[in-house]
Amino acid sequence: MPFFRKLVALVTLFMCATANAGAPKEIFWEDLIPKGHVQIDTQAQANHEGSEQNWVQPDLDAPVVKELDGKSVSLPGFVVPLEGDSEVITEFLLVPYFGACIHVPPPPPNQIVHVTIKGGVPIESLYDAIVVTGVISTETWSGEIAQVGYKMKAVGVAPFEL
Amino acid sequence: MLLVKLAVKSLLNRKASALLTLFTIAISVMLLMSIERVRVDAKSSFSNTISGTDLIVGARTGDIQLLLSSVFRIGHANNGVSWKSYQYITGQRGVKWAIPMSLGDSHKGLAVLGTNKDYFEHYRFAKKQPLSFSQGHEFNHLFEVVLGAEVANTLGYQLGDEVVIAHGMGNTSFHNHDDNPFKVVGILKATGTPVDKTLHIPLAAIDEIHGGHAHQHQPAQADANDHDHDHDHDHDHDHDHDHDQHDDVDLVGTPKQITAFLLGFDSPLYTLQVRRNINQYKDEALLAIMPGVTLRELWEMLSIVEKILLLFSIVVVLISLLGMLTSLLSSLNQRRRELAILRSVGARPWHIFTLISVESLLITGLGCIVGTSLFYALMLLGADYLQSHAGISLNIALLSSYELMLLAAIMVAGFIVGLIPATRAYFYSLADGMSIKI
Repeated sequence: MPFFRKLVALVTLFMCATANAGAPKEIFWEDLIPKGHVQIDTQAQANHEGSEQNWVQPDLDAPVVKELDGKSVSLPGFVVPLEGDSEVITEFLLVPYFGACIHVPPPPPNQIVHVTIKGGVPIESLYDAIVVTGVISTETWSGEIAQVGYKMKAVGVAPFEL
Repeated sequence: MLLVKLAVKSLLNRKASALLTLFTIAISVMLLMSIERVRVDAKSSFSNTISGTDLIVGARTGDIQLLLSSVFRIGHANNGVSWKSYQYITGQRGVKWAIPMSLGDSHKGLAVLGTNKDYFEHYRFAKKQPLSFSQGHEFNHLFEVVLGAEVANTLGYQLGDEVVIAHGMGNTSFHNHDDNPFKVVGILKATGTPVDKTLHIPLAAIDEIHGGHAHQHQPAQADANDHDHDHDHDHDHDHDHDHDQHDDVDLVGTPKQITAFLLGFDSPLYTLQVRRNINQYKDEALLAIMPGVTLRELWEMLSIVEKILLLFSIVVVLISLLGMLTSLLSSLNQRRRELAILRSVGARPWHIFTLISVESLLITGLGCIVGTSLFYALMLLGADYLQSHAGISLNIALLSSYELMLLAAIMVAGFIVGLIPATRAYFYSLADGMSIKI
C-alpha cells in the first residue's frame, strides 16, 4: 500500500522536523489575524446585489501577522487542491472551513494559506480536515497593487483529530 | 533439481491439458495487467494534461463536462462565452494571463484550437512544464498554424506546408475552406496530452473561416449562386486586406464568442474569490472550475468503476487458478500408477508432495511469463488506438513495483492452490497405485 508507506515517510519527516526546530507551534486561524484588526464578516458581505462585484478578495487589505514569518507551525484546515497527479497533491490552498470553495463566500486572504509540499502528499478525501506542519511565511507578490498572503512549505500532513 | 526435471517431464507427457491450463492462466494474467496498466495510465495522463492553470471558465454546464470539453476535447461544450464577458473578466485586477480557446473546427478529424499567443507562453502540462517547439515558432500572422507533435507525425506535415481547415468536427465536412489555407510555421514537442492532436491557429482566424462571411454579406439572403460567387470574391479581397492591415497586430480579433478560457492569477489566493464571482456573474451564465478540484471529483466518480474492473480481473485470475486445480486433481487419479512407481523406487511421500507443488508452480510461473508477454504485445498493439480514440497515452515501460506485486500475488495463489492436490498425493500409500482395482 503506497499510501501507508507515504504516511510512514511523512510521519518520519515530521519527527525529524520536530527534532530539528523544536516542536512546531500549534496555531489556529484566529492567530493569522493581527490583534485589533476587525475582520469583515465574510458571511455578511456575501449578498452583494447589484452590478458592482467585489472582484478580488473581500477585505482586500486584510493584514497578516508579520511575526509569523519563518515560524515552524502546525495548522488544521481543509484542502482545496491546486496541483498534483493521480496519487498525490503537491500544491493546495488550506482554508478554515470546508466548502470555502462553493457553499459560502471564500475567506479573506489572511485566512487562506498557500501550501506547497515537496514530493506531494496523498489526500484521501477533501471532506476531511487535516493538520499541516511546516514553515509559514508572509509572501508579497505584485499585481497592480502589492498584495500579501500566507505561504507554507509543508513538511508533514496528518489527519486532524480532536 | 531432480524433482523439477521429473515435474517438467511429467507435464510434457500431458502436454495438451498442461498447455491449456497454462494459457488460461496466461490470459487471465494478461487481462489483469492490462486493466491495471490502462487504469493507472489513464489517471496519470489525465492529471498530466493541465497544470499551472488557476481557473477554467466556460458557459454554465457541469464541472466535469467543462473540464473534459475544454481541455481533453472529450464531448463538446453546449454554449460559448461572449467576448464581452471574456474581456470584462480578464480585465479584472489580479488576472495575470488569460488564454481564450475556440474549439469546434477540425482538420482531418483532429481538433483545431483558436487561441492567442499566451497559450504558448502560459499553458502548462505535467508538473508545470511549458510547451516547447521542436521546429519553427508560434504564429505571427493570421493564416498560420502551429501543429501538435502527433498531427505533424501522422499527417506528415512539414514547416511551410499548407493546411486546409474544415468547419465542424469529424473526418468529412461539406464546408472545406479551400480558399484560405493555413501555413505551418511551428511544430510543438510531444507532450502526451491532447495538445499533440491539436492544430493551433490565431483566434481571429477562426472568425475569419466562418464567422467572417456572415459579417461581410449585408444582403444575406441573396440568390444562392450569386452568393457563392460573391463569397469567394469578397473573401479573397478581405483576406488580402486583413493581411495588409493587421499583419502581426491583431491575432485575437473580436469574435462574438469563444468556447472557454483559462485564467492565471498573480497569486493562487485570488482563485477562490474570482471563481465565486464568475459563478455569480449576472450578465451571462458562466462557470469557473479549478482543474485540480474537478479532476479529484472525476476520480471520486470513477473510483467505483475502477474497483469493479479490478474485482472482475481478480475473479478471472481466481477462476483460472481453480481451472488449474481441477486439471491437477483430475490428473491425479490417472497418475496413481506413476506416483506408486516413484514411491517403489524410493521416493518418500514428501518427494511426491514437492513434485506436485513444483508442477503447479511451473504452470503458474510460465503462465505469468506468457501472460506478461501477451500483455506487452497487447499494449504495443493497442497504444495507438487508445491514444487516438481515448486520449490515454500508455506508458510502455518495465513492470512497476505494483505490477510485480500483482504477479507475485498470483504466484503465491497458484502455489497455495497447488498444495491441495499435493497434499492428496502425499497421503496416497505405496500400495494405492500398485494393486489394480477394477
